[in-house]
Amino acid sequence: MKRRVLVAMSGGVDSSVAAALLCEQGYEVVGVAMRLTPEATTAGSRRRGTCCSYDDFEDARRVAEKLDFPFYVVDLRHDFQARVIDNFVGEYLRGRTPNPCVMCNREIKFDRLWQRAAALEADFIATGHYARIECDDAGAYHLMRAVDAAKDQSYFLFNLGQDQLARTLFPIGMATKNEVRARARALGLVNADKPESQEICFVPDGDYAGYVERTAPALTRPGRIVGQGGAVLGHHDGIHRFTIGQRRGLGISSEAPLYVRAIDPNTADVEVAARDLLNAKGLVAEQVHLVAGANTAEQFKAEVKIRYRHPVIPGTIRLTERTRAEIWFERAGPAITPGQACVFYRGDEVLGGGMIQRALEG
Amino acid sequence: MRIYLDHNAGTPIRPAVREAIAEFLASGLHGNPASVHRSGQYARRELERARARVAALVEAPARSIVFTSCGTEANNLAIVGVAPASGRRRIITSAIEHSSLLAPLAQLERHGFEVIRVRPDCDGTIDPEKVAREMDDQTALVTLGLANAEVGTIQELTPVAETAKRVGATFHLDAVQAAGRLPLAVDTLGCDLMTISAHKIGGPPGIGALYVRPETALAPIMLGGPQEAGLRAGTPNLMGAIGFGIAADESMRLRETETRHLTELSQVLLNELNRDIPALHLNGPRTKRLPNTLNLTFPDALGETFLMALDLEGIEVSMGSACAAGAVEPSHVLSAMGRSATEARSSIRISLGWSTTPEEIAIAGAVIPRAWRRVAGEAMVEARA
Repeated sequence: MKRRVLVAMSGGVDSSVAAALLCEQGYEVVGVAMRLTPEATTAGSRRRGTCCSYDDFEDARRVAEKLDFPFYVVDLRHDFQARVIDNFVGEYLRGRTPNPCVMCNREIKFDRLWQRAAALEADFIATGHYARIECDDAGAYHLMRAVDAAKDQSYFLFNLGQDQLARTLFPIGMATKNEVRARARALGLVNADKPESQEICFVPDGDYAGYVERTAPALTRPGRIVGQGGAVLGHHDGIHRFTIGQRRGLGISSEAPLYVRAIDPNTADVEVAARDLLNAKGLVAEQVHLVAGANTAEQFKAEVKIRYRHPVIPGTIRLTERTRAEIWFERAGPAITPGQACVFYRGDEVLGGGMIQRALEG
Repeated sequence: MRIYLDHNAGTPIRPAVREAIAEFLASGLHGNPASVHRSGQYARRELERARARVAALVEAPARSIVFTSCGTEANNLAIVGVAPASGRRRIITSAIEHSSLLAPLAQLERHGFEVIRVRPDCDGTIDPEKVAREMDDQTALVTLGLANAEVGTIQELTPVAETAKRVGATFHLDAVQAAGRLPLAVDTLGCDLMTISAHKIGGPPGIGALYVRPETALAPIMLGGPQEAGLRAGTPNLMGAIGFGIAADESMRLRETETRHLTELSQVLLNELNRDIPALHLNGPRTKRLPNTLNLTFPDALGETFLMALDLEGIEVSMGSACAAGAVEPSHVLSAMGRSATEARSSIRISLGWSTTPEEIAIAGAVIPRAWRRVAGEAMVEARA
């Protein structure tokens, strides 16, 4: 009896090759595209480089037709709006910098779509993520970095638990991007050379500030840019335009370079400072999740990633409550951006992570 | 094994139709019916034979049948061909019509026409007196479906026909779902225009027809040729028309037998489902309903997932109308009937047809409740989240 796997397909080359590999490996593949954003669905509104448009579903559909497996579109717009988009806009308005891809994995792909898979009697759910899952002799599951370090997406998957890992497949985690494209070409898939979507799927032009302004115009307001000591250095059009550590686009002139150090959503003040004042000693994380499930040790050492494209920093994680932790860096760290995900690694393995609430000054 | 229970979306081609089309292909008949030469004349002869057969289905003279590419085109022709040229600005329809009526009406509305959309009652019945009351000497057109595609409600529209005649409005009937299931004599129904479609009666897709009562003022929407008495330019789908003609013959011949057969089978299925699924709700009237159509609200089930689960088990049904990208929108018909968004999203349309067998119904009766139990589990979790 073939095992059934629901493959989340974006229309991109990664999820398409993932589906193809699963077909080859003898699974009963069911392709599913998720309709997440209220995009126009007519052919007249073609726009390349997006996700969830008519075109993207067509690419996924054609792969399903070529490889001869059933294909459906699942409407998750309502949940995506409530759990991902609203969170995104809300975080910016609170002076934080959100990470919607982490949210989408936690709330949509491995929650709502997961329930769908169960209702459809699927044994597994699969995606085109660059990550790996290993199972040890004791039957415990481990989330690992992908073989292709440059493409590794394990950072976004830290919220997966044992139950989910037991029923998840990441078919391309063992491959490099080049191998994936080569495989797509060999299979004659239409999207072999399709450019990747570099941006957040619901903000394809990358203008996050503009998106927030259009979505919540009544909630954005101008404010002051203040230096150390309270000096008012300038004004801005909304705290959502800023992120901690930002240097450019401040609209002020100064002798030494100034960086955004803090954002106060109540006063709408954006505080700037010299670089060395941004270095944090640690951070407080909320919504902490550990992949193994339980953690017996009250504190443990790990390598901490505070942003997707950032090298790991050695540190000590101390759980203060079940889902709250203090992370102390071994040496003075970088600027801490509240709202981002902080992920704990040990070598290639993801131990878990949480959402950055604030920096620890020491 | 696939069990096809979506006949309201389209029917398999009847054996006699398949034979007729195969014969046409083998015959080498290739002329354009509009050509002067002998080959064209032979082609024209076949076209006219087909036309006569289709006309017999609606008990009208052959020359009153205009072939189109599909039911949607015929509906567009009825609306856009009548209203603008009429000199009047008011159009009456209902809220439960097919999108191929509602969309051109919305377009006319944007151009200044007043479009009245009469609401149905809770089982999809359109009160003909309500419609008649909306009609006046400014009414260009009344356009209504004779039997509803989503829930199967059969409308009684004699008062509408009478009032239309009195005020001088054109009366158009969308009979796409009624054809092959209800008697369609255009004089009995009192309509000036009527839409039918081949692939709903066991004919091939790609061909429909608009019945046009002689003396009805109608402007073409397809321009550029003298075909179809100047009402629809373009070389007709001869192969399709031949299939349509045979499908019309077969439908008339078998209508009563098939109606009995389908009434029985749908009742068996409904009984089975009612027994296994508590709180199952039938949308539409118990009796004045197409015998093949069962639109059912399944408690606690997300229709979209249910559709997928059934498809993976080989049962093919539908819900609402599919949008272009393939994700399903809840039915505007159910909403107009007063169903909540949740109820509409939990509703599935099962529609039987000429090829449905008792064995298929037996299997469906067993598989559908089983799939429902699995899918209903998911929706419960959704409610908690």
